[in-house]
Amino acid sequence: MSSAQSDRRTFLARLGVLGAVAGTSLVVPAPASAAVLGPPPGQRALDELARRILDELTRDTFHAVGAFVVPGTDAYSRAQGTPRTEPGAIQARTPAYLIDFFDNYVPVPDELIRGICAALADGFADVPIQLPSGLPVLVPGVLEALDDAVRLVLRGPTALPLSLVIALLLNLIATLVNPASTHGTFVSPFARLSAGEKAVVVSLLEGPDLPPVAAIDAALPEPLRGSVSGLVRFLAGSMLELGAFGTYSEWSTFDERTRSVRGRPIGWDISRFDPGVLDGWHDFIGYYQGRKEVSA
Amino acid sequence: MRDVIVIGAGGCGPVAAKELAGRGLDVLVLEGGPRHAHPRRQWSLLENDAWNPSTGYLRAGPADRSKPAWFRELPQNSFLWQVAGVGGTTLQYFGNSPRAFPGVFDGYDGADRDNYDGAHRFPFGYRELVPYYEWVEATLPVQTAAMGTKEAVYFRGCETLGIPVQTAKTTTGPSYRPQENAILQPGGQAGRTTDRAKLTYPVSTGCTFCGHCVQGCMQPVKAPRNLTAKRSTDNSYVPMALTADAWSAGGRAVTLITDATVTKINTGRVGGRLSATGVAWRDNRTGQTHCEDARVVVMAGGATENPRLWFNSGLPNPNDWVGRGYTDHYLDWVVGLFDENTGNSKGANSSARCDFPGYGSLENVGWGPALQAVVMNASDSGIRNHYTNGRGLTGSWDGPTGRLVGAELKDALLHGVDRMLNVLCLTDDDVQPDNRVTLSGLPADANGPVPRVRFNQRGRSARSMRNREFIADRAAALLRGAGATRVYRIDLPPVLLHVHSTMRMGLSANDSVLDADAESRAVARLFVADNSALPNSLGGPNPTLTSQALATRTAEKIFQRYFGGDPWVRSDAPVVSTDHRISRRLVELGL
Repeated sequence: MSSAQSDRRTFLARLGVLGAVAGTSLVVPAPASAAVLGPPPGQRALDELARRILDELTRDTFHAVGAFVVPGTDAYSRAQGTPRTEPGAIQARTPAYLIDFFDNYVPVPDELIRGICAALADGFADVPIQLPSGLPVLVPGVLEALDDAVRLVLRGPTALPLSLVIALLLNLIATLVNPASTHGTFVSPFARLSAGEKAVVVSLLEGPDLPPVAAIDAALPEPLRGSVSGLVRFLAGSMLELGAFGTYSEWSTFDERTRSVRGRPIGWDISRFDPGVLDGWHDFIGYYQGRKEVSA
Repeated sequence: MRDVIVIGAGGCGPVAAKELAGRGLDVLVLEGGPRHAHPRRQWSLLENDAWNPSTGYLRAGPADRSKPAWFRELPQNSFLWQVAGVGGTTLQYFGNSPRAFPGVFDGYDGADRDNYDGAHRFPFGYRELVPYYEWVEATLPVQTAAMGTKEAVYFRGCETLGIPVQTAKTTTGPSYRPQENAILQPGGQAGRTTDRAKLTYPVSTGCTFCGHCVQGCMQPVKAPRNLTAKRSTDNSYVPMALTADAWSAGGRAVTLITDATVTKINTGRVGGRLSATGVAWRDNRTGQTHCEDARVVVMAGGATENPRLWFNSGLPNPNDWVGRGYTDHYLDWVVGLFDENTGNSKGANSSARCDFPGYGSLENVGWGPALQAVVMNASDSGIRNHYTNGRGLTGSWDGPTGRLVGAELKDALLHGVDRMLNVLCLTDDDVQPDNRVTLSGLPADANGPVPRVRFNQRGRSARSMRNREFIADRAAALLRGAGATRVYRIDLPPVLLHVHSTMRMGLSANDSVLDADAESRAVARLFVADNSALPNSLGGPNPTLTSQALATRTAEKIFQRYFGGDPWVRSDAPVVSTDHRISRRLVELGL
């Protein structure tokens, strides 16, 4: 394998794309995939393929996030070493809550998203790491085409969904924390980490010195300086806080039409929360020391 | 031409509007968010439906919830707790209405005078503000909070701290007490039943102990809007402003336009001085822009939005203090786990407090599982047991400060949300110039460049840090005294819900935007009447009452200075916002 091919392979592996190729039914790993795709693959088909892979990557990564915030009986919780006997975020559909939240409602300007994507496409993912054996080998031509397609998506004029950007960041840093996470069960490298390793990923996002992000910021003029690293820190916090909020709220069983719940949310069961009739409780004891008013 | 345009119908704009409308002026109120005219049809009292920061009915965004919320740049781990709409952040506040500590006012000569932010005191004495406090306390009205289970547990802890009970409005030393709340005391069956048929007005009046102050108050069922238990301005001052002709001889009802964002303050020369002459505003539904002239303009959009509007209007900023000096009470959070029922999710969300003049305040907070989870998950100290972000503070609580995530958070909640007790730490924090609002360099939205709120959490003053450590220690001691079996201190990142002093008034023209009457030093006929006008963070007490008292005083100054009127607060008797004339007129108006 040439040096250029090795770089491209590393790039795809660290984003999670190479793992997604192997771990999903979207495409069959090479050499069979070459036959499926057919040389030379059309650019449009590859763009579509790249997007489908990235969507799957997002879904899988946010399952791993959900399990990290509120572990349950699911495979992601078991894989990170925190199996539970009660349901958690995944059963409460928190991954979908987070993806919907980040993609449809967090009004982050496209310029900031493009800034992070540029970092992903232009160097961050090219930092060499020792790849484990067992990764799928894409035949020449397919490897380059897929690499080009993914970079094109990252550099494209349309800002990527915020959830995907977060997923790519998590996966890239996951492979930095544990290079072996480029390969294994699940699609996402982040999903292959232990809970402790996931915490290290979050610590890097929250910390002051995440190199590629800091480099982008340093190059920005005022008043933009600090905006990208600030956003990354904000997103890291939001991911945890919203993950907890979504799981322990009524969201998973909320009926917008009736503005009430269809069934008891998982978070209410976990916390033993009793909403009662919502309009009042029998909890009035009186007034402290019998005093109903104070002096001027 | 209007007499007065008030920008913002949040916690304080309606106060100035109501007072001036009561004097017969022609007042237009412009509000960027919606008016929740029918809460029973619009609100669920459920946490995500209310509080999802992007889609909740208490978000900062246009009335149409299918449209994105407004982007505000926060270049750090932090949360800006804004609420757009009539009532503003009083829709979610707890109604806590303590007065500021006398030590933050000019002329204070108590033995502890050096213990406060002495460089940024009020430009007048405490006694000057007392009549305005009394006026607002009677209007809302403010009443001594009723006690539920969580207050009983909290007071049990207070009784171990060696400080006395405060039984007066003014705080003169370390003490604890029931809150003075802008919440009507329970009457009839309220607080005594879970039977919905009995939770209906007038069988129940006042607070029904539903536990949802923070999701907006609409209790009791079928209560007239101005008899709703919590006195957020949508239930108190706005109804009064809209019905001023019904309760004030010579009063004139205000005009309220919602979903209307002011994008520019217009200026011109009046009497040789640069003066506000009106505003441009944008209808968020149609995108159409309108202009309206006025003799006086009052800014009341909040501590973040006022600087934004100032900058977007191109107004002069000669000393560079617009947007600077942002104070937020440097909040922290301490949680205790108990082996007994604490009633955490029931009753008014906060009905008990402690005050430590020169350091800050503590108050109990109770609520449901989602907000409980998120507040235990938000920290500047990293994830407990994993990393500390360079902090991980230790002390009289258990283990280091930090986020509870994963199994630890789940185990805490499995213990039961109603077997927890929260103590919110309100720090007496210093005015610091670099905690500030500027314009973001990111693309503007439809209403112009957006604000960027920068807080240097690690660069707080030594006094602010000392104060926070002191009150967090007292919070832990309180919880242990109450019987907590485990105590967590969180070390919150900036959570901007008590927001003040970005358009501060002050004694010195060198470091203040407003003069002692809350009029801009740079632009005549332009006043600020909300928390942003406060000169400091009040020493720690919750800001709404003081801001409302100040807004009342500002209304009087406007009336005297530009309309040739006489002051009224020291001579007249206030009309209480629960007055039946207001209820009747609201029905007539279909409001």
